[in-house]
Amino acid sequence: MLLRAGLRYMLRHRWQGLLALTGIALGVAVVLAVDLANSGARAAFELSAQQLQGRATHRLVVPGATLPDDVYVSLQRQSGAPPMAPVVNGWVGVDGMPGRYQLVGFDLFAEAPFRTALALVSNRTGFTADWLTQPGALVLSAAAARALSVAQGDTLSIVYRGRPARLNALQIETYDSAAADDLLLVDIATAKSVLGMQGQLSYVDLILDADDEQWIRQRIPTGVELQTVAEQAKGVTRLSAAFELNLTAMSLLALLVGMFLIFNAMTFSMVQRRTLLGRLRAIGVTPRELFSLILLEAVILAVLGTIVGLVFGVWLGQGLTRLVAATVSELYYNVSVTALNLDASSFLIAIGLGVLATLTATLIPAWHAARTPPLTTLSRAALEQAARRGVPLWALLGLVLLAAGLLLALVLPGGVIMSFVGLFSLVLGAAMMTPMVIRVLHGLLARAALPGIWRMGVRDLNRHLSRLGIAVAALMVALSASVGVGVMVESMRGAVNTWLSDLLRADLYVAAEAFDQGATLDSALVEEVIQLPSVAALSRYRDRTLPIAGRRVLVTGAHMATPSREGFELLSDASSVWQAFDAGAVLVSEPLAYHLGLTPGASLELPTPEGSLAVQVAAIFRDYASEHGRIFINEAVYRKAWQDQQVNTLALFARNGDVEAMRREVSELAAHHTIVITPAGAILEESMAVFDRTFRVTEVLRAVSLIVAFIGVLSALMALQLERGKEYAVLRALGLTRGQIAGLISGESLLMGLLAACVALPTGVLMAWVLIESVQRRAFGWTMPFSVDGVLLLQTLLVGLLAAGLAAIYPAWRSAHRDPAPQLRED
Amino acid sequence: MRGGWLLPAMLSALLLLACDVQRPATAPTVRVDEAMGALPDPGFARAFEPRQFQFPQDHGAHPDFATEWWYLTGNLFTDNGRRFGYQLTLFRVGLRPGEAAKDSDWRSHQVYMGHLAISDIAGTRHYSAERFARAAAGLAGARVPPFEVWLGPWSLRANDELFPLILEAQHDDMGLSLRLQAGDKPMVLQGERGLSRKSATPGNASYYYSFTRLPTHGELRIGDSLYRVQGDSWMDREWSSSALDEDQVGWDWFALQFDDGRELMFYQLRTRDGGVHAYSRGSLVEQDGSIHRLLPGQVTLTPLRYWQGDDGTRYPIDWRLQLAEFQLDLEVRAALDDQLMDHTVHYWEGAVDVSGSHHGRGYLELSGYTGKP
Repeated sequence: MLLRAGLRYMLRHRWQGLLALTGIALGVAVVLAVDLANSGARAAFELSAQQLQGRATHRLVVPGATLPDDVYVSLQRQSGAPPMAPVVNGWVGVDGMPGRYQLVGFDLFAEAPFRTALALVSNRTGFTADWLTQPGALVLSAAAARALSVAQGDTLSIVYRGRPARLNALQIETYDSAAADDLLLVDIATAKSVLGMQGQLSYVDLILDADDEQWIRQRIPTGVELQTVAEQAKGVTRLSAAFELNLTAMSLLALLVGMFLIFNAMTFSMVQRRTLLGRLRAIGVTPRELFSLILLEAVILAVLGTIVGLVFGVWLGQGLTRLVAATVSELYYNVSVTALNLDASSFLIAIGLGVLATLTATLIPAWHAARTPPLTTLSRAALEQAARRGVPLWALLGLVLLAAGLLLALVLPGGVIMSFVGLFSLVLGAAMMTPMVIRVLHGLLARAALPGIWRMGVRDLNRHLSRLGIAVAALMVALSASVGVGVMVESMRGAVNTWLSDLLRADLYVAAEAFDQGATLDSALVEEVIQLPSVAALSRYRDRTLPIAGRRVLVTGAHMATPSREGFELLSDASSVWQAFDAGAVLVSEPLAYHLGLTPGASLELPTPEGSLAVQVAAIFRDYASEHGRIFINEAVYRKAWQDQQVNTLALFARNGDVEAMRREVSELAAHHTIVITPAGAILEESMAVFDRTFRVTEVLRAVSLIVAFIGVLSALMALQLERGKEYAVLRALGLTRGQIAGLISGESLLMGLLAACVALPTGVLMAWVLIESVQRRAFGWTMPFSVDGVLLLQTLLVGLLAAGLAAIYPAWRSAHRDPAPQLRED
Repeated sequence: MRGGWLLPAMLSALLLLACDVQRPATAPTVRVDEAMGALPDPGFARAFEPRQFQFPQDHGAHPDFATEWWYLTGNLFTDNGRRFGYQLTLFRVGLRPGEAAKDSDWRSHQVYMGHLAISDIAGTRHYSAERFARAAAGLAGARVPPFEVWLGPWSLRANDELFPLILEAQHDDMGLSLRLQAGDKPMVLQGERGLSRKSATPGNASYYYSFTRLPTHGELRIGDSLYRVQGDSWMDREWSSSALDEDQVGWDWFALQFDDGRELMFYQLRTRDGGVHAYSRGSLVEQDGSIHRLLPGQVTLTPLRYWQGDDGTRYPIDWRLQLAEFQLDLEVRAALDDQLMDHTVHYWEGAVDVSGSHHGRGYLELSGYTGKP
């Protein structure tokens, strides 16, 4: 009987049930979708890395440089050599295509034990002969061929470090596993020619057991390192930590928004049911029975909503995964997500959220409804009263959570995870305080002299606090997260821009082919540039990546002109830093200093071919270029310790500011050398473009969360307004015009949006602060000035109002156009 | 696979399969007659006329020709009589005629393929391995003087003279480290002053010379066990740009060393209809090094026993060989049934015992057999 009553209620108020279901489904969907997208991107990235890695257990490398052919050739000629496979690889651009592709040159004959799929690239008769003898012969996957619009036999124009080259599609591989979508597979001879690696290898893969390892270690020359694949993967094949963090933050945000959506939907549904519950109690249903009834219903809703949410989430996840993959492709290299990565943990989180949040959201009101005497339950006023009484309590709890969040993130020691827990707690606290804030603001508004109909709206809002509080909180969470992430990105963008502008002091930068690491300038050219009459001063840089304390640190041997030195933003006392630098002390970037706990005066060991070199830290400088860290060392010291006279980059300062004259002179030299001349402005522009690309996916995920929250709020508002149909009918009967009714509804909605935004803005700014001061610092070790962009805040405010405004349209139209009479007769 | 006609077309078909050690079940197997049927690129030089051999240069590579090999087989014994057979072949394959593009120091038109096998007769086990490498950057190649042909860790080395020749070839579970000496026997120019015609088609011929008995000693490894061994080796040198004729499907190749100091080489080219091709040839080398050329009509070969491989292919591993003119009536029996070279190309190559009118040992090669009857 009870169940029937519940069901009948549900049937009669189909749209209410439907809205509750929508809320749950949306909450589950957004969490699942974002999570799937993130794990999909990670999986795609790892797949590419794995495909390259194959069955190799170790790798021979020269840290920060290439491996001479001779090392491999002489090893493979010795009896007892384990399986080895030489690889020459590099990132190339494809004409007319965004993103980078990895050109991998391998030796077909050495591959069998490593990458069976690669070794079996074709079974066409004559393939091997073509592959080995035709310069530029290329194999690519069917997916890559489609993406690049290349058919068998077509020519593909690529660019490596500014130098064009042509490849010829010898074979489009149909086996999925043979070639990852981002790989351009070529013979090692082709790779050496395209990448300018004559006499050099990128690395050699090995399959070693303990004995073999011993064998290899005894035979490799100094400077060559034997690394395990795991060590190797740490630095190279992982998504950059920044991007990874981005994804994690977005998953958490989605979880938060999803949770609020469900809370919103369920609380709302419960509040609306109070009359029925009251009646049931009045006819003698025991509190226990009532409680079970509500619970049963909640379970049914939770299960149905979760199922719908999962289906929707998978669908939404597919779209999002493609988006994330597109960003990964642009930033790192092309990955394609052909199938959704249906990660079990993503589903578990989504299901757990759907069921637990629904039940939690139901339990309190259910317990409440079951406990209260029937008459009180019947009265809406009593309920609102109870809700209002709860407001200060919630606010207090919220305040505690908020404070605890700040404490966790900013004061107590801990890692990035703790920062996120703090952030989560902070937002949750703010959300719980929202009803209280609404009440306070309402008090202020109520005192203001408003026209009659507006005053009515303001008062209404307070009356419906129990129902609207959580809806406003949900909108608030979505808005504040949007503000938080937005402010963080803007602050970081500003900081990076300032830092780069300061750093790029020189008028022109000259590099071999491009500004990638590795390419070195002809030493004759360096001499010629020094002799140019138009060059007033120059700085020389030589980059080398070295493993220091498990990090891949970029060590730069630098000879710096005074203006170049002035470009460094030193985070410690600047006096006598440069004397110390000239004497052999090093400059350490902020992230590296943070992670290794280095302060000026501390000492540090750098690995050189001749053993380790102890150096002193002269100063810490601000740097956003590498989360792994950077070290600047005096060129003279570098050259002596590493026996390396090469130069990667020159920074030139024009005499008397005549940049044009200098550019002309340098360009003339370029006719005889392959160099790239870039003005500082172009580097800045390029760097900022990369930055913006990194965070584009953040924007998308932010928008998705916002849209979902928006739909949630929309449905809650619509439900509320529709329910109040009778009330509006009374107002109509009392003589209010259609326009006035519509105005009342819209006004109330907008007010809600405004209130949500009002709470969201400070919360968002607080979030941004935690993100910058705690998350960024702990994850990357860098600090940045905090800057809040007014436009962004205004945007958020408008989005909140827009959401609320849109939510009012249908109810306003409906209430205004309905004939009041039948509604009045109802019930 | 000494039969000649290893061709670029075949090799390029083979090479890619060879790359996959754990060959999937679906990988096509190469039929020798199909693979070798294709004509080599007309840009390669061909053997039309006998040539004036120039040594030591001719011991080195001839990249103008499509294919070439240094083929060593032998029967070796430990002091207490334990017997082993071995094969080390280094093949050179010209993928394309002419000079390779100059874009990279790893670019080459030449590829080397190596086959290494040891037959442990007492242990009744046949070990074999295959390697490939391009002839670039020092990965593989041939040079002279001093003579060296190498493919990774497998190599044949000598000084200004070809002998003594040092053979080094180690693989996972086996290895050879041998020294081959010139012995008493002179070099044998096969065919017509070293021009070995394989069919009536002009140019379908190879340059071919042999060292039929090379006293050998050294070390042989099976797993972790090392054996001091000595015995006799046989070396064939051949280069060509020829192909199997339309009606030729494979060959049965005998290289026998008799206890009386003579050697017999005979290859029987089989025709599609099961007959013996008219261009089958051989030679009998006397104790003093003098040579009798053999034609198909002189030699009668009768299979005595077959051994069946896992793929159903039946190989005639025991034979009766009759050469009435020289009073030879021999039984040539496999020292071990399974001496199948199960690599890119399937062929049976193994140590044999000679009995009957004369006694001795040798190597037998059976190619072009397929599972189909």
